[in-house]
Amino acid sequence: MTLQLNTDEIRQIEAEAAPTRFARGWHCLGLTREFGDGKPHTVNAFGERLVIFRGADGKLNVLDSYCRHMGGDLSQGEVKGNEIACPFHDWRWGGDGRCKQVPYSRRVPKLARTATWATLEQDGMLFVWNDPERKPPPPEVTIPRIEGAGSDEWTDWHWYTTLVNTNCREIIDNVVDMAHFFYVHGSMPTHFKNIFEGHVATQYMNSGGRADIPNPEGQPPMLGTTSIASYFGPSFMIDDLTYHFEYEDQKTVLLNCHYPIDANSFVLQYGIIVKKSEHLPEEAAMQTAIALGDWVKVGFEQDVAIWKTKARIDNPLLCEEDGPVYQLRRWYEQFYVDVADVTPDMVDRFEYEIDVTRPREAWQKVVEANIAARAAQS
Amino acid sequence: MSVRTDNRLLDSPLIPVSCRRCGAEVLARKSTWQQTSVQWDAEATATCAQLREAEALKQHGRGLFLVCSELRDSIEDAARRGRLPILDEVDDEMPSNPIVE
Repeated sequence: MTLQLNTDEIRQIEAEAAPTRFARGWHCLGLTREFGDGKPHTVNAFGERLVIFRGADGKLNVLDSYCRHMGGDLSQGEVKGNEIACPFHDWRWGGDGRCKQVPYSRRVPKLARTATWATLEQDGMLFVWNDPERKPPPPEVTIPRIEGAGSDEWTDWHWYTTLVNTNCREIIDNVVDMAHFFYVHGSMPTHFKNIFEGHVATQYMNSGGRADIPNPEGQPPMLGTTSIASYFGPSFMIDDLTYHFEYEDQKTVLLNCHYPIDANSFVLQYGIIVKKSEHLPEEAAMQTAIALGDWVKVGFEQDVAIWKTKARIDNPLLCEEDGPVYQLRRWYEQFYVDVADVTPDMVDRFEYEIDVTRPREAWQKVVEANIAARAAQS
Repeated sequence: MSVRTDNRLLDSPLIPVSCRRCGAEVLARKSTWQQTSVQWDAEATATCAQLREAEALKQHGRGLFLVCSELRDSIEDAARRGRLPILDEVDDEMPSNPIVE
């Protein structure tokens, strides 16, 4: 018997190495309350090491952490006035990146200037502007204000941070990946639409409850969710997420954001605030934020479990019920090229609505089978 | 990073459809009666009256324009007239999946 292998008939997975360039855009590094204690903080991001400190003037500064003098790590130093002092020889660096003082020297040498990142403090968060071309952030791509953040009618941020060892494109793909919400996260999508335009990529998703999955501890039966989630730039997603319960709707805002450490790892963060209501006063609302947050955390862990062993794939083989993966990546590409090289197809409006009829039929069968299996066990 | 071509578009690309209201021309593709993709260009977005109106209304860039109802109707109309194929109804070569439990 001869076995003929025609390689033309095998679908090959293609994948270039993850880019070593980092996306242009605003990146949330975390809550300002974490950074604002007057001590220097280390953040590894964009393939570099950053120092973050709040000076005596109250401003948060982000600088390259390696002292231009002899390479000392400024994030191990000390804040002195408005400057960060290197632990190695006490060279003092200002928020503008300039060396302000070398206490043991008559003069500061020429070119004593280091890299800085433009910052934005907003709604309790610290953002930095990353741009390989080192241009200032244009106002039209600024992060929108979050209604509810800092308001008495909403809870404070419930925040979570974790390290993920893969390239950050994986989490971007989730914007369009309807089916994984059923298989990985135990959701039941009932409506799914994507819109990309300019620097914003949106996922509009409604989902129903899963009768085969028990409710989270202490939560009443959830009827479904309505979610409008948009990435504003390459890394910061705001999700207006409403949970529908029999007695009322629960309004939440879920942030999903990340910043790259290097080509093959990133820091993933989420933040959640919950609107208080008659049924949900102060304490209960915060408890809900924590409970929902724990639920989201489980969701992240489910994604991470897949990412840990999956292959990077540039040529996914898609069926009609899949979302617009290629078009999303075309949108995402705008952040990895110079501004002058952004092409119209990366930013032109694109809409994609999935017909969920067939997926729902198939998934309903799975749900019924799971319920039957559980009943047979008990 | 170069972005490759969507395998689904190789045999059935998006095709031009004009809005009967404002004449904006977009590229459209329909997998089923309920599933549509629409590719706009700068000229179309500048022409669409509903989009312009929504732009004027939204604040802080967080308003979301979901769909132009005139354009949606125009695309459906093109499908009804057979100008825009419903791929689910024409594509008989693909094997169909039984629903498995």
